[in-house]
Amino acid sequence: MSTRPTSLVERLEKLAGASGVITDPMTLEFFSVDGVLPVVVARPGSAEEITEVVRFAAAEKLAMIPVGGRTKLSIGMPPQRYDIALDMSRMNHVLAYDPGDLTLGAEAGIGVEKLLELLEEKNQFLPLLVPWMERATIGGIMATNSVSPLRFAYGGPREFLLGMEFVTGEGKLCKSGGRVVKNVTGYDLHKLMIGSLGTLGVITRVNFKTFPLPLAQQTFVAAYANAREAMALVQAIAKSPLSPRVVEVVDPAALPILGSNKLPAGMWSVIIAAAGNEKAVERHHVDLARMARDSAAEAFQSLTDEEKRMLLGRLREFVRHVQETHPEATIFRISALPTTIAGLMEQLAAIAKRMELASCSVVRAGSMIYFALWRETGESESNLKRACGEIFAAVEGVGGWALIEWCPTEQKRQVNVWGTPRGDFELMKRMKKVFDPAGILSPGRFVGGI
Amino acid sequence: MDEQFIREVQNILGRESVLARHEDLLMYEYDGSVEQARPECVVFPRTTEDVVKIVKAAARYEIPLVGRGAGTGLSGGALARQGGLMMVFSRMNKILEIDYENQRAVVQPGVVNLDLTHAVEHAGLYFAPDPSSQKACTVGGNVAENAGGPHTLAYGVTTNHVTGLELVLPDGTVVRVGGKPTESPGYDLTGLLVGSEGTLAIVTEITVKLSRLPEAVKTLLAVYETVDDATETVVEITARAITPAACEMLDGWTLRAVEEFVHAGFPMDSAAVLLIEVEGLLEAVEWQAEQVSAVCREHHAREVRLARDDRERELLWKGRKNAFGAVGRLSPSYYVQDGVIPRTKLPATLRRIDEIGKKYGFQIGNIFHAGDGNLHPIILFDQRDPEQFERAVNTANEIMQWCISQGGVLTGEHGVGMEKNELMPLLFSPDDLELMQRVRAALNPTGRLNPGKIFPFGKGCGEVRVQPLPVSAASPV
Repeated sequence: MSTRPTSLVERLEKLAGASGVITDPMTLEFFSVDGVLPVVVARPGSAEEITEVVRFAAAEKLAMIPVGGRTKLSIGMPPQRYDIALDMSRMNHVLAYDPGDLTLGAEAGIGVEKLLELLEEKNQFLPLLVPWMERATIGGIMATNSVSPLRFAYGGPREFLLGMEFVTGEGKLCKSGGRVVKNVTGYDLHKLMIGSLGTLGVITRVNFKTFPLPLAQQTFVAAYANAREAMALVQAIAKSPLSPRVVEVVDPAALPILGSNKLPAGMWSVIIAAAGNEKAVERHHVDLARMARDSAAEAFQSLTDEEKRMLLGRLREFVRHVQETHPEATIFRISALPTTIAGLMEQLAAIAKRMELASCSVVRAGSMIYFALWRETGESESNLKRACGEIFAAVEGVGGWALIEWCPTEQKRQVNVWGTPRGDFELMKRMKKVFDPAGILSPGRFVGGI
Repeated sequence: MDEQFIREVQNILGRESVLARHEDLLMYEYDGSVEQARPECVVFPRTTEDVVKIVKAAARYEIPLVGRGAGTGLSGGALARQGGLMMVFSRMNKILEIDYENQRAVVQPGVVNLDLTHAVEHAGLYFAPDPSSQKACTVGGNVAENAGGPHTLAYGVTTNHVTGLELVLPDGTVVRVGGKPTESPGYDLTGLLVGSEGTLAIVTEITVKLSRLPEAVKTLLAVYETVDDATETVVEITARAITPAACEMLDGWTLRAVEEFVHAGFPMDSAAVLLIEVEGLLEAVEWQAEQVSAVCREHHAREVRLARDDRERELLWKGRKNAFGAVGRLSPSYYVQDGVIPRTKLPATLRRIDEIGKKYGFQIGNIFHAGDGNLHPIILFDQRDPEQFERAVNTANEIMQWCISQGGVLTGEHGVGMEKNELMPLLFSPDDLELMQRVRAALNPTGRLNPGKIFPFGKGCGEVRVQPLPVSAASPV
């Protein structure tokens, strides 16, 4: 801290207004990141105010973390420095919604739930069924590349993000992309922002392609004795003409956490949500029932709307439920090729077992694994550390990528949650230097200490 | 160009892989655009190692360097604007790996777009981006320009189908970004590189997603008496969220030109046709085709014709994809524009283009990706007449200004290149452009890689040809 707190506060008040600057200890506690408290919380109300605050911070070399709904602040490594929490909650307006064009532009601090409600009025939606649904903001979802079960059909945010406005670490309001659905004008800088954890800029506006709500939906569950058989069904679906919205595989060990009585105990469940017109949904039903029968599924059933709503809600919130039931859990986020997933799951389970750690997993969209592990009773911390090292190696061994999305702060002293940087890290450092030359934005939280 | 440098690249690649004689270079001074610039030397590498050696040599001699696929681009992206060295990838045309189970292919940049689809379609797969030039254009060129095509309406453009790249930086360093899995931790450098028009790095290997061929396809041709009815149909199809796989429009002038050339079956006396394709599950396609037909009829389509078989369907598409060839028969030169507008602005925009054409005294044909609001006005002129050329460029610029005033952008799929670089301030503020240029400098510090593209020259010399709009008016983000 190079500046005395009082003068910092006074000067910030000039930029963000007296009501926009908060220093009471309780609020600061709310904004802590891995146990590190900011000196002050600034709550700007416009992109211009944000540029002012960032310019000030850059000039004073004050470290700043943009904050949305405070749901995912523990992702990443602990911040090296943290002076200003930039609370985005006042940046919560819809700026342009053209239902006829299926496009939407909103300020980054807007809650995703509010946005989805607005879209629903026009029978539209965004494929962002993300955890902490009632608190998560669009900006936070982008900055963490938050994962929705709808990825199977719609992909991640990079596939439907049209453009962004953001404030760079120098306090310049910049934009890239646009609000039209097709655009190759200039560099796609907004793609760099996805998953950048607030290290390149403060996202102020996000433009999306929106999607029509399906006319009909139905959700099915097929249950199998092991992960290999469950993944075989996922592969068969991928090769079929079917186009479901959601395909999730749930490990029997995750059942207590998901708290759903619709998934058969002791079994690997494949949850498939079909959508479209009624005939198309019925076709999914017929084909999936046949595929389940042919693959010797132990059970196959269709869920009621209420059961579906509950189950998809629990799946959406899976990482949150893991943390609620096992606050000490380490949760890996793994991206791997579909054919490698069944084998990888066996390896991961074997590692956990050998280290006497409890574990459970969910396979999302056929290509991602959430793998959670935790100490049941008294196993040593070194076991956990060794397990993490082996998991990173196992994933790398099958050509996949892993990061620890969630773990207790203390554990971050033992393990780098991002794993070992790869060959493209040098280019990432160069990007960081372009966007944030003074290194004031979320310093130290990202890959390789960025 | 330094003779010593040419000898050096001849030693690296062999004499048969290097062109440096004036007459050999002539055919590399054009691409699909109206621009022209001649390289001083053209090389044909076969491997990443070749590329590295050449790039290092060019770095030592401080020679500008531009990559080129098939040269079908429409914005001058593959032209050697400052002379120097051109690297043509036609011999780096190997498909290195096809992973059928995971729906991935790893290819060299010179692989022709349609060849990739042909290589995998026996397994029910294809490469989704389908620019009209797909018989000739290369995957490397698609990556550089973030190419689109008619079916990107449903499936997205090139960037949505690329998961990893191998890059050679201007100093010869080889870097891999992304990979075969869908995502990787850290910044999405693959997303930055795709569409960077060869200004950040040379791409030497590409990992793409392969898509599954649909179970059913239906192609409809809707025929209209007025352009307005056709554009209103597109607005309504979008608003009802029917999401066809493709939704193309040809206006009366263009469809007549095409029909005389291709005999695709377009009615000669109509004002516009829509070519609409729905794809997917049989049950979904039947429903969508009914919905599309209903909307067309509600908007006074004179006729809605369903292609009866693959032959008829292919004929309709042949008409669409060979349109520029057809136009070429009728005019000494033509200038294809590439603007984008929100779909709701289509009717007003087509009317405006007509007015602009009249104002400048040009026939403007329209054949475009109506479903995603991606316009391709074709301005017919005679390039041999410098006055006409200048007037054609002014016509195009006025169309672009209109697009931007409607919340649109300068280019939907052709790229900025050396065609629209001076127009960039219409859309981007000085801060936006400065940031992008610093991103370029981070990878391409001396600017030797594809110089003179994307960014306006005027900048820094107080000589911006187009005044930037204030930030608020430049709205759209």
